[in-house]
Amino acid sequence: MFSFKKAAIAGALLLSVATPAWAAKDLVVGVPDNLTGLDPHNANDTLSQSASRLILQGLFGFDKDMKLVPVLAESYEATPEATEFTIRLRKGVKFHDGTPFNAQAVKINFERLANPENRLSRASLVNMVSQFTVVDDETIKLSLKEPFGAMINNLAHPGAMIHSPAALEKYGKEVMRNPVGTGPYKFVSWQADTLKVAKNENYWKQGLPKVDSVTLRSVPENGSRLAMVQTGEAQFIYPLPPEMASVAEKNPKLDVISKPSIVTWYVAMNNLKKPFNDIRVRQALNYAVDKRAYAKIVYNGNADPMDSVVPPGLPFYAKQQEWPFDVAKAKELLKEAGYPDGFETEIFAGNNTTSIRAMQFLQQQLAQVNVKLKVTPLEAGVAAQKIWGVSKPEETTVQLYYGGWSASTGDADWQLRPLLFGESFPPKMFNVAYFSNPEVDAAIKAGLATADKEKRAEAYAKAQEVAWKNAPWIYLGVERLLAAKSKSLSGAYYLPDRGILLEEAELN
Amino acid sequence: MLRYLVQRLIGILPVLLLISVLVFAFVHLLPGDPARLVAGQDATEQDVAVVRTALGLDRPLWEQYITYVGNVLQGDFGTSLKTRRAVSDEIGERFMPTFWLTVISMAWATVFGLVIGVSSAVRRGRWQDHGGMLVAVSGISLPSFWLGLLLIDWFSVRLGWFPTSGYGTWAHFVLPSITLGAGVAAVMARFTRSSFIEIAREDYVRTARAKGVFERLVVWKHVLRNALIPIITMVGLQFGFLLGGSIVVETVFAWPGLGRLLVDSVSFRDYPVIQAEILLFSLEFILINLLVDVLYALVNPEIRYR
Repeated sequence: MFSFKKAAIAGALLLSVATPAWAAKDLVVGVPDNLTGLDPHNANDTLSQSASRLILQGLFGFDKDMKLVPVLAESYEATPEATEFTIRLRKGVKFHDGTPFNAQAVKINFERLANPENRLSRASLVNMVSQFTVVDDETIKLSLKEPFGAMINNLAHPGAMIHSPAALEKYGKEVMRNPVGTGPYKFVSWQADTLKVAKNENYWKQGLPKVDSVTLRSVPENGSRLAMVQTGEAQFIYPLPPEMASVAEKNPKLDVISKPSIVTWYVAMNNLKKPFNDIRVRQALNYAVDKRAYAKIVYNGNADPMDSVVPPGLPFYAKQQEWPFDVAKAKELLKEAGYPDGFETEIFAGNNTTSIRAMQFLQQQLAQVNVKLKVTPLEAGVAAQKIWGVSKPEETTVQLYYGGWSASTGDADWQLRPLLFGESFPPKMFNVAYFSNPEVDAAIKAGLATADKEKRAEAYAKAQEVAWKNAPWIYLGVERLLAAKSKSLSGAYYLPDRGILLEEAELN
Repeated sequence: MLRYLVQRLIGILPVLLLISVLVFAFVHLLPGDPARLVAGQDATEQDVAVVRTALGLDRPLWEQYITYVGNVLQGDFGTSLKTRRAVSDEIGERFMPTFWLTVISMAWATVFGLVIGVSSAVRRGRWQDHGGMLVAVSGISLPSFWLGLLLIDWFSVRLGWFPTSGYGTWAHFVLPSITLGAGVAAVMARFTRSSFIEIAREDYVRTARAKGVFERLVVWKHVLRNALIPIITMVGLQFGFLLGGSIVVETVFAWPGLGRLLVDSVSFRDYPVIQAEILLFSLEFILINLLVDVLYALVNPEIRYR
C-alpha cells in the first residue's frame, strides 16, 4: 500500500544522506589571540602572519616541516659572495583582483617594504637590498649593499609576502583590512575576533583549495577552545595546553598533533656580571639542572632536552654533547670558582603560568647546589623596559632571564645572530646573556657572507660548537607543539614556529 | 526637574575633563615601552625607533595630552597602537555585544534576585528563606570562570544544546548571561531580603497592619515600594560595572566585548584604547547615576527634585 507519510520520510532520508555532497565545507579554526592586521609587511605576531598566509603568498615560503620551498618564485641564482640574487618567477599567476603577478609587482612590494618613510615593521627583511631591477616580466634581480647569505630565507618570511599592486594603490595603509593576494583563499571579512576567507576559485595550484571557506576565531580560554573542537564547532584548535592533552586523546572524534617545534627555552646568564662571568659557574648551573625533569614538570613531558643552541628543526643544526645532570660535579665546579657555599641571585621571566612554573622549578633545582634564586615574574610592558629597553650593558639589572625564542625566518642565522652575537646586546637585539666571543662572532659573520650552503653549514657548525661549550645559557628544552583536530580534517598543518598552514585542508 | 537634569548634565563636563587628565597621566606612567611592544618580539632597535616616531611617542607628555584633548573634542579618539585602526571603530564594534549581554544578564538577574529576596524575607526562617539564601550564597561564591567552564562542559559538550562560545544568535547569549548574571542575582537576592526585612520593622508598616490592611497589600505596596530605593541604587551600580565588560566571562566565552578589549589593550600598552575605554566607562557610570536619581523620584514622591 502506498503511504504518503512513508514516502515523505524516505524522501527526507534520501535528502539528508545526499546533503553532504552539496553542503558548503566550512573549516573553523580556534586560535588563542586576536589578529593585529592582515598586512604582513607590518605584522609582528605569528598569528597575523598565519592568517595573512591564507590570502597572500611570498616568492618563497615554508612547507609543513619548515623546509624552504619556492612559492611564487620558480628558481634563483646567487653570486658566490651573496651580493646579487636573480629570481625567476612563476608564470600565469593572477591576484584575486585580476591583476597579473609579475616582476613589476614584486618590485613595487619590496620597494614599499624597504622604504623607511613607510615605517613598516618588517623593513629589515629587505632593507639590505640597494636595488630591485625588473629584468623581464618573469625575472627580478636584487642587488645588495653588503653580502647577506640568508637573503632567500628572509624572502620566505611571511613579512615579505606580495600584495596586489592595485590593492596597494587603492587602499594604501588600509591593505591591512583589505588584503588582496595570490593565495588559496580570498578575504571576506574581519571583525573583532573573527576572520573569514573564501575559496579562490582561480587558484594557480590545480585542485586546491578543497574547502569552501575558512574561519579563524579567537578563543583565549584554553578550556573553551578545547570545547569548540569537542562539539564540532571547530575542526582545528591550537595550542592545546599540555594538561588537557589527555582529555583530547580520549575523545574518539579527535586527533592530537604533537610535534617538535623550533621554540627553544633557556636561561640566559648575564655573562658580564659576577658570578656568571666565570665559565665554571655557568657550567656548574648546567650540570645542576635536570633537563628531563624540566620537560616533565614544566611541559607535561612535551619538550625535548636541548642539544645545541640551534634547535633540530632549523637548517644548519649541529648536534652537540648534552650537558648531563650531575649535582656533585656542579658543586665541585662552584667550589673551584670560589663559591663553596653557593650564592644568591635573581631570575626574570614573563608572568604567564608556564614561565612561573619554570622559574619555580629552577629555584628548586638550583637549591641543591646552594644557589638561592629569587623568582621575579615581569608583566610584558615592564619586561620590555627592564630587559630589552636597557641602553647600556652595564646598566642592566638582569642576572638570569628565562625565555624562549623561535627563529621566524627559519634559518640558523636568526637563532644565532639576535641571541649570541657580540653586537646584538639589548636594546639593539636580544643577546640578553651579553655573550660575546670572537670565534662565535666570526663564524656568524662568515655564515652571512656567503650563499654557499656548505660554507654556511661549516660556519654555523663552528658557531654552535664554541657557543655550546661556553655555556652562556642554562640549556633547558625544545618545546613540542600540541594541537587538536577533528578526525574529519586532513591536510591542516601546525608549523614548528607555531604558525598554521591550511592550503591543503580537506574536510570529509 | 528639567532644570535639575540640565544642571546635572552640564556638571558632567568638568568631571570628564578631570578624568581625562588622570587617565592620561596614569596610563603614561605605567612602566613599559609601547613602541617596543608594537614593534614586536624580534624587532631591532632601529625598528623600535621607527615605530616610536611614527606613533608620536617621542614628543613631551603635555604636548601629547593637548593634541589628544583637541582630537577628542573633535570626536577623534586616535588610532589603536596594536591594530592601527580608529579607536572609535574598535570600541564601536565591541560595544553592542557587551551592552546586550549586560542588559540580558541584568534583566534576569534582577527579576530572579527580587523574587528570591522577597520570598526569603516574607517567609523568614522557613525553608523558602534557607533555600533562597543557599542559592544566593552559592551564586556569590562560585567563581565565574569555573561556572562558565562547567556550563560549557554540561550544556555544550555533553548535551549539545548551546554553542560553546562566540557571539551571533540568541543561543550564544544563554550560557554567558547565566554566568554573568549568577553573581548579580545572588547579590540582589541578599540585598532585597535585608532591605525588605528592615522596612518591614518600620512603624508605618505596623500601623498599616493594625489598620487591617491585607497582608498582600502591605507587602507589595508599603514594604516593597520603600525597600526598592536601595535596590535601585544597587541595580544601577551593578549595571555600570557590567557595562564595562566582564573580563572573565568575555574571555571564557570568547565574547567580542569591551572587557576583553581592555585587557588586551592594557597588556599591549595600547594607550589610546585604554584612555577611550576608561572615558567611556566613566561617562556610563555618571549617566547611570543620573538615571538612578531620577528613578528615586518616580518611586518615592518624597524625593522630588526641584
